[in-house]
Amino acid sequence: MDHCITLKDVAIGYNGHSILTDISFCLKVGEFTVLFGPNGCGKTTLFKTILRIIPPIRGTIVYGEGYYPRFGYVPQRQMLDEIYPFTAEEVVLMGTFGQAKPFCFTTNTNRVWVEQCLQDVGMLELKKELFSELSGGQKQRILIARALATKPEILVLDEPITGVDILAQKMIMELITLLHRKHKLTFIMVTHEIHSIPKWIDKIIWINDNKVLIGNSIELLSPLITDEISFQGTLWH
Amino acid sequence: MEHLLEILNPHFLLRNALYAGLIVGLVCPQVGIFFVLRRMILLGIALPQVSNAGIAFAFLLHTLGWHFFYHTESEKVMALTGSILFTIITIFILAILERKRKGFTENRIGFTYVIAGAASILFVSWNPYGQTEVLSMLKGEIVSIPDVYLWLMVAIYGAIFIFLTGFHRNFILVSYDIDMAVTIGKKVIIWDMLLYTIIGIIISLGVMTVGPLVIFGFLLIPAITARIITRGILPFCIVSSGIGVAASFIGFYVSYHFDLPTGPTDVALLSVILVLSYLAKILFSLKRPGKDKIKFKENTS
Repeated sequence: MDHCITLKDVAIGYNGHSILTDISFCLKVGEFTVLFGPNGCGKTTLFKTILRIIPPIRGTIVYGEGYYPRFGYVPQRQMLDEIYPFTAEEVVLMGTFGQAKPFCFTTNTNRVWVEQCLQDVGMLELKKELFSELSGGQKQRILIARALATKPEILVLDEPITGVDILAQKMIMELITLLHRKHKLTFIMVTHEIHSIPKWIDKIIWINDNKVLIGNSIELLSPLITDEISFQGTLWH
Repeated sequence: MEHLLEILNPHFLLRNALYAGLIVGLVCPQVGIFFVLRRMILLGIALPQVSNAGIAFAFLLHTLGWHFFYHTESEKVMALTGSILFTIITIFILAILERKRKGFTENRIGFTYVIAGAASILFVSWNPYGQTEVLSMLKGEIVSIPDVYLWLMVAIYGAIFIFLTGFHRNFILVSYDIDMAVTIGKKVIIWDMLLYTIIGIIISLGVMTVGPLVIFGFLLIPAITARIITRGILPFCIVSSGIGVAASFIGFYVSYHFDLPTGPTDVALLSVILVLSYLAKILFSLKRPGKDKIKFKENTS
């Protein structure tokens, strides 16, 4: 498989202050990678550095074909202010803003595409509802549809199941699995919840104690290590 | 009816005031929606005060013999320049501090309001001449807008309206979700700077022509009202301006009919519309099952 994103000796942090250093790994096209670690360990910072929201302090990040790939971004829904009176459909339409021309109405092609994305996440029926009035799980699905609407090469999800009930967590993870299989996209998922990590994923980047451990699910999710992570996980929460 | 026909006559004596009010009613809510959505309402109070300080400072310089523009009415051009400079510099400083997360937003804006208010009074009191004229300009005289100011408003407010409408998606996206805007390649800092410049110009020019009270009223109340009664961002924007234009026209008619000051009448009318909209929303939500319906759909989808 081709390399999609390669990090070489990258240091990340804010205002020149490093949180994590010497990070080197590569993600391949079509892989499903989980960035896992306790709250505050720097996984969101790493994730935002990959997305070029935050510049790296040191090192280089090389994107596969030499150009910045199109990312579909699913933020933590708590970060979005509910004062905005968006309908679910309008939130998904934002995914098309990268290609939209100024002074033009939304094209029919984009409207049809947005409906397709809503259909993919099972939210077409609720497209006229206010985003702020939806439940946590529904909002998460709408944000996934918005990311799909960008026609991404890489889909990145920041804590997609945090703060939703067990049933909604299960539905979201099933949806993510389905989308990965259907669209063959490269996925990066950030989470601090070990139980949410599917067994079939290709790679885990485990960040803890200023160290970055990289492996696959068999290596890192073996019963011994899982117990250790779970134990620490209880402390992390 | 007689008064209404009189107002609608193209040769009506106070037509400039009517047109200026309609322009403010149309354009200010389009800027005001960003005050409301970005939770910057307090800034809407502080900036007109800063604009006032800029006007008073420019008049003071002019009276002391610092003439930057050598033609008739140069003091008004200086006042406008002072107003724009003070407002834009202030909004950029506040924006930088906001991004660097230095202290609390409310503290900064409160301080800006107080210091700008004090500075305005001091600049006026130091001005040995023309206090009356300065005070009249600080209050804003919507009924006595000369042609040149009206055309200036048409040109500048018109350009801003077209610009905001044309690039609506970018302004909304960088306001709502900066991270997503970055990932799809939007230059967030440029769009933010453009928005702040627009806010600065709208307030500066508005304060000089129609006064701080009217500008503050039309920036905020239509957007707050539309937020209550609309579902969706597009209806929100359209209804905001609709309320602004309607309040401006009806307010002008009421003030002309009952011989009341136009600015306060407009703002009072906007407030009545806001209260009525809020009550209507409560009545409507009592009849609508609302969220239960959505939760039910979640379980069945």
